[in-house]
Amino acid sequence: MTLTSHDPIPASNLDGAVEDYSRDKVYVLTALFLAAVTVLEVLTYAYPDFPVWADNLLIPVLMIMMAVKFFTVLYIFMHLKFDKPILTWVFYAGLVLAVLVYLAMLSTFRIWWPESHS
Amino acid sequence: MAEALTARESIKAADAHAPSAHIEHDTNTGISNTKLGMWLFLASECLLFGGLITTYLLYKRPLEGPTPEEIFDIPFTSTSSFVLLMSSLTMVLAVSAIERGDHERLRIWIGATALLGATFIAGQIYEFTVFVREGLGFTTSRFSSAFYTLTGFHGVHVTIGIIMLMSLVLLSLRGKLPEHRSETVEIVGLYWHFVDVVWIFIFAVVYLVP
Repeated sequence: MTLTSHDPIPASNLDGAVEDYSRDKVYVLTALFLAAVTVLEVLTYAYPDFPVWADNLLIPVLMIMMAVKFFTVLYIFMHLKFDKPILTWVFYAGLVLAVLVYLAMLSTFRIWWPESHS
Repeated sequence: MAEALTARESIKAADAHAPSAHIEHDTNTGISNTKLGMWLFLASECLLFGGLITTYLLYKRPLEGPTPEEIFDIPFTSTSSFVLLMSSLTMVLAVSAIERGDHERLRIWIGATALLGATFIAGQIYEFTVFVREGLGFTTSRFSSAFYTLTGFHGVHVTIGIIMLMSLVLLSLRGKLPEHRSETVEIVGLYWHFVDVVWIFIFAVVYLVP
């Protein structure tokens, strides 16, 4: 069977996959989406007074955009969406452990209450 | 020489008759140990980069020397980030190319990925050079040490990725990367995408958060 670049790759042909893989068109659209989010991120620097992220909203808005890019690459480009769930669990084990350990560390150093250092 | 050519021809002949599908792995998970191992390695890398990013956050306010606001060139770093992001697209297109047996495009996309990665590294070297000229050495402040360690470690990861990509191009040119071995490209791709997601985090937390 000859596949063209527009056909999904059958899961039966792929090691560990449980769903058919998307093809090039989906990857290009995903990259365009990621580029658009990056432009938005840079706009927060260029226009810091824009109402959507003015004042205290800047950090939450940046964190949300970062998370969207992070999980888009993880699920589409790294194929977690199509692979066996065990791979998602393996990666999340490390990710969650890292987040918890370092949140505890930052809290120990009172980074959330900078005024308490003085 | 003649023997080497014969060996290469025999590998090509064996590959030509190999099934296009991946080899069925007789493991408890049904996934090859190499792929599972790479995901475990990437999970452990979260702890490495988590530690470096946390250290940077703790030391972000320098007691002496230039501050991040004074020294960072956001438009330049944004361009570098965009270049690295696009390298993820070329990498995933390379994986797609080998899975459908298109070796010429595989080499083109892997070459493009390596080139984009090298452009990112060149940008990082230029950025470091400018920072040092402006008085931000590795030992200038706790901020500078944390910053150079974090971004330097990431740069080393990108450089290792480029070496792996060039090895794939060489393997492909020598006919040792047929489509039934596409998992090799996929695993290098996983590493490359992880380096990209780490930079997504660094770009937001180090450069953009005021």
